Amino acid sequence: MKKALRSLVLSPEDTVAVLLEKGARGDTVTIGEQQIVLLEDIDFAHKVLIKDSEKNAKVIKYGVEIGYMLADAPKGSWIHGHNMGCDRGKKNRESLQ
Amino acid sequence: MKIMGYPRADGRVGIRNHIAIIPSVFCANNVVERIARSVEGTVALRHPVGCSQVGYDLELTARTLSAMGTHPNVAAVLVVGLGCERFKPNELYESVKKSGKPVEMLVIQEEGGSSKTIAKGIEIARRLIEQERKRSRVECDISELTIAVKCGGTDATSGLAANPVVGAMSDLLVKNGGSSILSELNELIGTEDMLAGRAINKEVADKVYAAIYGIEDKLRSGCDERYAGRNELISPGNYDGGVSNIVEKALGGVYKGGKSPVTDVLEYALPAKLGQKGLFLMNYESHDGEVVTGMIGCGAQLVAFTSGRGTPAGFPLAPVIKLTGNSFMYEKMNENFDFSTGDIIEGTATIEEQGQKLFEMVVDVANGKLTAAEKLESYELFCVARALGGHNNSLEQSV
Repeated sequence: MKKALRSLVLSPEDTVAVLLEKGARGDTVTIGEQQIVLLEDIDFAHKVLIKDSEKNAKVIKYGVEIGYMLADAPKGSWIHGHNMGCDRGKKNRESLQ
Repeated sequence: MKIMGYPRADGRVGIRNHIAIIPSVFCANNVVERIARSVEGTVALRHPVGCSQVGYDLELTARTLSAMGTHPNVAAVLVVGLGCERFKPNELYESVKKSGKPVEMLVIQEEGGSSKTIAKGIEIARRLIEQERKRSRVECDISELTIAVKCGGTDATSGLAANPVVGAMSDLLVKNGGSSILSELNELIGTEDMLAGRAINKEVADKVYAAIYGIEDKLRSGCDERYAGRNELISPGNYDGGVSNIVEKALGGVYKGGKSPVTDVLEYALPAKLGQKGLFLMNYESHDGEVVTGMIGCGAQLVAFTSGRGTPAGFPLAPVIKLTGNSFMYEKMNENFDFSTGDIIEGTATIEEQGQKLFEMVVDVANGKLTAAEKLESYELFCVARALGGHNNSLEQSV
């Protein structure tokens, strides 16, 4: 049984939504006018991509960049450490300067 | 906008009218607590410091205890010392006196032991209560209000619901001329560019970088190469909870301070300069008690504290409003909470709506409404920060 899931977009410019309940592949989230189908199982409080994104595109949450795409991904994808890089997070401070 | 408060001789405004009994050293704790237990309406500030301290460590203790004695939520003070301690009771007495508050002092070695000091202390405390009972609230501007924002016992709902709601409330208070203090800088690593970008000038931006980098260096000192990357500085449970890196975690915390400009970076328990208003950072890390004590020492009259998992901890001199985004914990630990942001997780309310409601609750609490922690007389958050070996972590490095 496919479910319509509750989700939260923290800022209008965000490219990800946070699931407010555990989701399974095929479940949907509604963001404004568009309905997005989950392409894989995604846990509570984890992120689902709500905008088709190319490699190196910014991932936006809370209205700011939390990382960049490591590969092209369509909306509905789970976004986490396996497909999102973050220079400010991964490296230490010295390597950024 | 107006609140009903207690204007003090030094120009600051209190939202509570406490008679504080403060030991200048831990050896006086029992005497202090027995006086407080015998006289209704007094609060004891039990602590473990004041003896055998040097350098910046001693400075922090002196500064913190003085900040409590001079705090606007305090009407009058009784200082109790032992007599041979490093932090002299007279220093505390003088600093409170300078603020214009009624203050009295007892020294156990001079009074001739515990029982004599307790008897005399009870007499003094009763007199102070009698004097202060007559004082009533008067209309004061809301711009006199400073709130400390804090999260502890965090779960996945904190960064999604409770913290953004506190941020929306903080922005409303700042918009109305008031102030907000955000700290726990170790949890803000990765957001320094954003915070510095919101600083009111370059000098403050430089202080934001120096404070966050300083905390990062302190965290990493003594760690091996496994902690070389920034992501390794937070615990693995964060990743299971849906947070993908340290920056995303920090964003969940940083929005407790809303999106207002950063006015200045304050040092531990040192109030802002007269007339400075807006959002402040305080240069300290995230021990719940130590950081709340520091922010109240900076002049905050109340605290908004988010907790996904629930904590009963409150503060002896200041109301602590407890919020959670976790509806299950709100029901389970109901007596310890004041506000639920669970509606956001359930999808039936927005952050803006809840922020407005929380702002209204802040005004009610400022006007005298008791919080859960006050009703339970939960006072665990009073903890004086230590700097063992006298090491100075302040930006000035001048003391």
